[in-house]
Amino acid sequence: MILDALKLDGKVAIITGAGRGLGRAMAVKFAEAGADIVAASRTQAQLDETAELVRKTGRKCLIVPTDVTDSAAVNAMAAAAIKELGKIDILINNAGGGDDTAGKSIEAITDEQWRRGLDTNLTSQFYAARAVIPAMVKQKRGKIVNLASGYGLRGGKHNYMYACSKGGVIQLTRSLALTYALDNIQTNCIVPGIFPHNEEMMKFFKGGKFIPIGRPGDDSEIGPLAIFLSSDASNHINGELIAIDGGGLAGGILPTGAVPNLPS
Amino acid sequence: MASEAIQTGFSLEGKGALVIGAEHPVGRAAAVTLAEAGAKLLLASREPGTDAQLKETAKAVQAAGGKPIVQAQNAAIRADLSATADLAAKEFGRLDILVNALDAPWYGAADIADDSAFDRVMENNFKTVWMSCQEGGRVMLRQGGGAIVNITSILAQRGVPNASLYCAAKAAVLNLTRALAIEWARRGIRVNAIETGWLDEPASPANSGEEFKKNLLKYLPENRLVAPADLSGALLYLVSPAAGFVTGESIIVDGALMCRV
Repeated sequence: MILDALKLDGKVAIITGAGRGLGRAMAVKFAEAGADIVAASRTQAQLDETAELVRKTGRKCLIVPTDVTDSAAVNAMAAAAIKELGKIDILINNAGGGDDTAGKSIEAITDEQWRRGLDTNLTSQFYAARAVIPAMVKQKRGKIVNLASGYGLRGGKHNYMYACSKGGVIQLTRSLALTYALDNIQTNCIVPGIFPHNEEMMKFFKGGKFIPIGRPGDDSEIGPLAIFLSSDASNHINGELIAIDGGGLAGGILPTGAVPNLPS
Repeated sequence: MASEAIQTGFSLEGKGALVIGAEHPVGRAAAVTLAEAGAKLLLASREPGTDAQLKETAKAVQAAGGKPIVQAQNAAIRADLSATADLAAKEFGRLDILVNALDAPWYGAADIADDSAFDRVMENNFKTVWMSCQEGGRVMLRQGGGAIVNITSILAQRGVPNASLYCAAKAAVLNLTRALAIEWARRGIRVNAIETGWLDEPASPANSGEEFKKNLLKYLPENRLVAPADLSGALLYLVSPAAGFVTGESIIVDGALMCRV
């Protein structure tokens, strides 16, 4: 029964960047789907709020304040998950984001900024995968979902770090998928389009009027896709990237609305 | 139970669905998936003379709790597709979901293939999909929305020897999917695809010989073929309300094969 295959009852899911926004929304959705949550991010106070929402659903929430760019901290996160909840079934590599190098000319970006950005968006996902793989190999079962971006597939003007790190995430996904294909570990990638997390971003993206479908995405729409990719309903999907972008990559964002349609 | 909550975004309760190519193992698995998720089903054939196989699909859908309507038709004839789409709208009030499981494997050397091979392969694998999207889309545009899924192959993106026309037809389906998705994006119709790896079904080239199959399995990262039921999750996700922001996308179900090639 296909709907039953989507249940996550009894699973343990680590979600990085779970202190706010998309990570928090996913933590709550995963708990509603039946999973116990390991919530990781830097800020304890934000994790406390996430944990409260998770526990309201009746599921457990283990809080592990973690700097995902610190491999020792990431290893400790995985160890804590196993010690407290017994196993790791799912890793959601969600931590990361843009930085203030976006829009800057290439000469103005420092070595430190470049390294910091790649550490946050790409190296963090590598560290977390490396930390959970042994447990998943041992139990011959596991799901890893990496958050990438449309910029992992298209270039961005004055946007080096974000495009390169997210492109790296896609390649990390494929290599993990191939390497652990026979260990029953599926690694896939979500490629979100425009998801404004607040009013200011909504304004910046002009309400999403250039997106083919005519609107931007809502954070609540990522959860079901992440659950699908963490569930038995996706067991033969491995190394795949799934765009959730209102047609952005299928059509290219610019042509829709910004230039005239071809005559019909 | 807490986990029931997640099912709501994926439920197809009350939706009207049309599966074309329902006599085929892939169409059958698709129909069962949609029925399990609560959709009302119209099962239509790709070609005439397949009543026994259609009946088998109807039985499988009934076992999943559905009460399917069965329509023998020829997907190469526009009038048939048009009548079938209209029938779905009439019976269910709406045509919410259209699945095109239209596939006819072909293999042969390019240098000796004649024009009739071109016409036949393109018609069976591409023109039928185009016409079905047009006819189903026409009904969906009238009612203000719907979800279409075209089932194609990873050969839409890669070439293999002795399957030139098949690869070209599958690529045509993939990019037709993207173009229709963009054309209809603001009119409420989402159009997506599923690309399958090497399928395990009787007509599949994967089952064309023991030696070939043995070598093929070694080359597949998970050492196994794609069962039609492996497509179920991707199909349910794409047609469900949970994928409201997903259009023009194709989900590959191949056990990591495309990561390697």
